[in-house]
Amino acid sequence: MPPKSKAATKPKATEPAPATTNPTTTTTTNTSQTASSQEPSEPTTVLERSQQRYEKTRPFEAARRQHGLSKLSKEDQKGWICDQLLHLTNRLPAASRARLLSPKASKEIWWTINGTNSIVRGLKQQPKAHTTWGTDRNGHDVGSYSIERFDERIKKRAALTALQVSSRVFRENVEREKRGFVDARSGQEIIVTEREIDEEKVRRSKMTALKKELYGEITGKLASSVDWEDVVPTPHEEPEGALAAIAYPAEYAEAMSYLRAVMSKKEYSPRCLRLTEHIIGMNAAHYTVWLYRAANIFALGLSIPDEIEWLNEVALANLKNYQIWHHRHLLVEHYHPTIASDAEALAHFAKQERDFLIAILSEDTKNYHVWSYRSWLVGKLEMWEDSEELKSIETLIDEDVRNNSAWSHRFFLVFSNPKYATPGKGATERDDKVTQELVDREVQYAQTKVYLAPQNQSPWNYMRGVLVKGGRQLASVQEFVEEFVVKLGEGDDQEEVRSTHALDFLAEIYAEKGESEKADLCLRRLAEKWDRIRRGYWEWRRKCLTQGSSEKVVEESEKAEEVTVV
Amino acid sequence: MSILDGDGDGCDQPKAQKEEPQQEEWPYLDVHRHLRYWKMCIRAPLPHVYLSNESNRLALAYFIVNSITLLTPPPSERTAETPEPLISREDKKLMRKWVLHHQHPTGGFCGTSSLVFPLKDYDTFNFETKTSDEPEHAGLANISSTLFGLQLLALLADEEDEAAAEKVFEGVNRTGTLRWLKSLQREDGSFGEALSDLPGHGRFIAGGYDMRYCYIATAIRWILRGDVKEGEPGWVEDFDTEKLAKHTTEDSPVTPKTKPTQATPTAPSQLSPFSTVLSLPPLLPPHPPPSPSPSPSPSAPQKPSLLHSSIRDLPGLIHWLSSRPFVYLEPPPPPSDSDSYIYQEDDLDDPNFLLPPTPSDLLCLLSETTTKDGQPKQAHVAFNGRTNKVADTCYFWWVGGALANLGHLDSLVDKEPARRFLLEKMQHRIGGFGKSPGSPPDLYHSFFGLAVLGLLGDERERGKVREFDAGLAVPRATVGVIEMARGRLVELEREGGRGGKGEKQLDAVELGLELRGGERERPKWLGECGY
Repeated sequence: MPPKSKAATKPKATEPAPATTNPTTTTTTNTSQTASSQEPSEPTTVLERSQQRYEKTRPFEAARRQHGLSKLSKEDQKGWICDQLLHLTNRLPAASRARLLSPKASKEIWWTINGTNSIVRGLKQQPKAHTTWGTDRNGHDVGSYSIERFDERIKKRAALTALQVSSRVFRENVEREKRGFVDARSGQEIIVTEREIDEEKVRRSKMTALKKELYGEITGKLASSVDWEDVVPTPHEEPEGALAAIAYPAEYAEAMSYLRAVMSKKEYSPRCLRLTEHIIGMNAAHYTVWLYRAANIFALGLSIPDEIEWLNEVALANLKNYQIWHHRHLLVEHYHPTIASDAEALAHFAKQERDFLIAILSEDTKNYHVWSYRSWLVGKLEMWEDSEELKSIETLIDEDVRNNSAWSHRFFLVFSNPKYATPGKGATERDDKVTQELVDREVQYAQTKVYLAPQNQSPWNYMRGVLVKGGRQLASVQEFVEEFVVKLGEGDDQEEVRSTHALDFLAEIYAEKGESEKADLCLRRLAEKWDRIRRGYWEWRRKCLTQGSSEKVVEESEKAEEVTVV
Repeated sequence: MSILDGDGDGCDQPKAQKEEPQQEEWPYLDVHRHLRYWKMCIRAPLPHVYLSNESNRLALAYFIVNSITLLTPPPSERTAETPEPLISREDKKLMRKWVLHHQHPTGGFCGTSSLVFPLKDYDTFNFETKTSDEPEHAGLANISSTLFGLQLLALLADEEDEAAAEKVFEGVNRTGTLRWLKSLQREDGSFGEALSDLPGHGRFIAGGYDMRYCYIATAIRWILRGDVKEGEPGWVEDFDTEKLAKHTTEDSPVTPKTKPTQATPTAPSQLSPFSTVLSLPPLLPPHPPPSPSPSPSPSAPQKPSLLHSSIRDLPGLIHWLSSRPFVYLEPPPPPSDSDSYIYQEDDLDDPNFLLPPTPSDLLCLLSETTTKDGQPKQAHVAFNGRTNKVADTCYFWWVGGALANLGHLDSLVDKEPARRFLLEKMQHRIGGFGKSPGSPPDLYHSFFGLAVLGLLGDERERGKVREFDAGLAVPRATVGVIEMARGRLVELEREGGRGGKGEKQLDAVELGLELRGGERERPKWLGECGY
């Protein structure tokens, strides 16, 4: 409804005529004819209805708008001027009004107005599309609503207001309960009952629905939740010049504003845990949220196995995510001391973890985060001797002999076992404590896999690593390597190389034995024919053959020098 | 004739280009489209898929601004035809302000403005211990964001005003950041990414064991530390460089590392434990150059001897890096024609990494001189990040950058087929580069594609892409800006001027020293407090 004009303060003003009264009198027949010549049709919209009401209370203005001032009769023109003056001066405080119009002019105006029997309290504001009633959630002008539809809307607005009032009462009661407020009438402390909370929840959802329907306003899940009643969210305000803004949903912005609020207060509570889950569901790569989640779990002393179970689902849904694995790492670090002395619990936990790792690796066999977590876990839970671990790796290599991650894990499992490996030895360092049987077994394993796919670099690298670890000459496998290189340098049609890695290996064997020319031939053939995309590299290796040893000397001396500098 | 040409002798240079430079022979870097892509990234909000990077927006900003800088000719090379720079001088000012707004009150930068709390929330922060007794703040500043923030400030220098370049770090809390950095170092010398308070565990250095954090730590140190001597104003206690060097050069049994998001090639990610080395030392000298020089010079290879000598098995590392390129073969059509189908079945899981069973098979495929549509066939060389992994744009950068830092890029990488692969298979129609052939462009790969082109310094790209520094992962000219800005920052602190407030504090300190007897030695703790 358009706001009605404030009651005119003129004490001597005649009582306003009802809107239905014919605005003109017999003395102003002309106006009567002009203003009421077209009896308005039944209004179809709210805007039309208000427009008609307005015109009825302002007949001179309506006539002017319709015909133009110059077309009006002298009487009507005079009436219009008086009407304008009256409404203009009515807006002013009495003192200013007196200054604007001399008593004589005032008198004349009133005389004219009374003469026309015009409505003194005419509607002040002309209704306008969009501005008077605003727009609905679809951006449509509420003024264009039909009367019935508008009445519906008014009812809903009234309902919303009623709900808001009840909700405020509820919130005040919550506050009073906290303060231990005693009701003066009943003399009892105010207690918010479960039923009241349930009622409030219903109320909130109704309010959210109404707000959405009336104004298209989407109240976030948290803002309308009773749980977050006492938290004032800290909204994020982006300063000017912002880069890399991301179009994220309002829900995310809301959740972050609550996160900021609770993090500031360092609150650890079940609701904070739920909040982190809510955010992780939208963005699983937010490191701060994960850290805050861990802090909540530790502070509340929640069950780590439960958390890990929840985490499994999240990990499977976010394969490439790193934060999940860091979180898991923290959880295990926290949990481990509680089961460390219980061998059975430890074995059970190790099995559970492995089962999950097998499951997730079947989705993404070379996932770096999973593999690094797995190698860490082997050390933490001392799974070295666990035959299942080695077996599951063998299965993966059997499934895909080129799975380099599985090869890496095998090497780690076999050669970092503290039972026999020298602690502190680098991965590629010779370790005299490694038994020759073990070296034999691993060389053998690598070789059977080379046969399956000679151009697969993984087992070649593996074999080389095993030999270095075991302190063996590379030449100890020369025969095997030579199987893959036939008649090298004996002409293009004779020469056959089944694996460039074999040729590379062979070059190293010859270099080791001091047979530089043979080594050079291998490298040359790689550069010329078998692996031309690495020509630069093979040429570099050829150069190193001739000056390799001297370079090493230089490097060694530099190293000694630097140690003192650092 | 070798189809694997591209040994740098230029024999396969498109002839058309020499005669008529306007009509370049495909493939070439379509600067116009790339700029259009970046314009979209800087003018409109990024699509929802980037939400997972919300905590790391400074990284995204770094990719955007760095790429635009790479494609924008410096003022001296601009002509009347050069289009207006995508980022105006006015924009730069605002953006620098926005970047600085991420700075944590006690040093370091937060990764996103949504983690910058209204100032009052820092009230309970204990500036002495750099921890908060009350609110959860410790985890807000982040090591990689700090480097991105500093790089961004330098990238956003107003190039038309040379005097402004040295002021780019004004407002950076140098001492605070360096102290915070020190607090991120673990017992074993390694670095974490952030500090966090974990109930029951106390203050805790969060972040996995990630060699990139170690690189970042040295980079921040290089950018901010300068040559202030102990006892001088502006001196800050250093982190343990010796321990760090030891950590990075010695094999550790487990070094979990995240997927690379940091731009500078540090350790080649994800090495096999049996492939010689696990990690590279920081590629920046543990000690910054003695005096910041205003000349833009490559920062990284300043002490190659140190770099080389600290790597335990350099030949092994170079072998590993050189094993990363492979001949990219188009995924074959469905095996209807079984005679010519030589792939193993499971190869098709990885259509971007097809490995013919024997070298002869590969040679055979490469010896086909024309493609199906009659075009001369030229080899494409892609890079992967680990043994038997698929082609990925960014690994051209990671491997190329690591080799460049070792001083071996030019001699070891066959640039032409690699460039061809990048431009023909990874360059997207709408501009930018994708992660793998046919994939849509993203900020990360689009930036690394440009970065590696800037690194290669191919003459066809010269003038299109600025020269790029592999050590600091910014254009060469920006390295010069950083050096100048560091000089200015250090100078300000030497003068005791940490803003107006600082001057007063220093006066009080000097007064105190006078009262104590001016001749006596300055107490050591004063230096630790930054005076």
